[in-house]
Amino acid sequence: MTARRGGSLPPTLEAALETTGAKCYRHCDKPLRIRRLRSRLPGFWSVRACPSGVVSVTDYVEWTRRDPTVGVGIQLRRWTFPSTLVRSRDLRLATRHGPELGRAAERLLASARPARGVRVVYWRVYPFRAKNGTERRLFVCFRRTHPSPVFFASAPSAASWGCPVCARRRTAAAKRNS
Amino acid sequence: MVWDMPGAKPSGRPRQLTIVLAQWCPHCVPLSVRYGGRLAKRLGVRLRILDIDRRAQEKLADRLVRDYGDASPDYLIPQVFLEWSDGRVQPLLTGFSEQVRRTEQAWRDLLSSEWLLSVRETL
Repeated sequence: MTARRGGSLPPTLEAALETTGAKCYRHCDKPLRIRRLRSRLPGFWSVRACPSGVVSVTDYVEWTRRDPTVGVGIQLRRWTFPSTLVRSRDLRLATRHGPELGRAAERLLASARPARGVRVVYWRVYPFRAKNGTERRLFVCFRRTHPSPVFFASAPSAASWGCPVCARRRTAAAKRNS
Repeated sequence: MVWDMPGAKPSGRPRQLTIVLAQWCPHCVPLSVRYGGRLAKRLGVRLRILDIDRRAQEKLADRLVRDYGDASPDYLIPQVFLEWSDGRVQPLLTGFSEQVRRTEQAWRDLLSSEWLLSVRETL
């Protein structure tokens, strides 16, 4: 099998990497929804978040020999407000070689030339406390008022939706109407 | 970085299976210790555990991960390596960042893989 262009994955590999059935950990225990994203990077993104928008984990998958972590960090910082929420220590690399992905994926990866594994970069932000002691979680907003996802930190008990981009647009709209 | 695909067949014989783990990690203990023991038995090698919370073992674990594994500032665990008699080291499995049962599935797939069958045929 020849290398596919751009690090994208054939369906066999996508299926082998798919995980379902996870629940929101230490927040609402509701099933996580998986949202697929694209960016300028050749691989694909998955954001696992509960219906309230609390993010469990975001991952980027690319079929490549290189380590995509740096590019992943740059892209995440574009999507995150403030960008300092994306810390290098929260980005973790994993290589999936084939034997641990089931027979179909194993055969496909074994026949690929040049030999390469599937590289996954996980971004997981554990709950943390703000300076005033309140618990903060990572949220994601997919509203259509902005073309890209917006990651932000907020208190899980906050009364209002804390997306900074949506809030800016609301404020701008209110100014225009007044 | 030496990047040895498990699909490739190194010369020599399997010598030691190493798991880099932490006792508090549910993907590691007891799950990976149990499955790692099974894999080591099938390969006829000893199982070495490197606990990242024990200073002496942490240094070895960090070096193994840096040289052959999935290195990050706060790297994923468990990471599993097979060392061969000719000195080569193969990364076999890195824990998933999703649910524990996903890592368990990876262990099951590894134990029933064609790679393991082919290695056992050469023993």
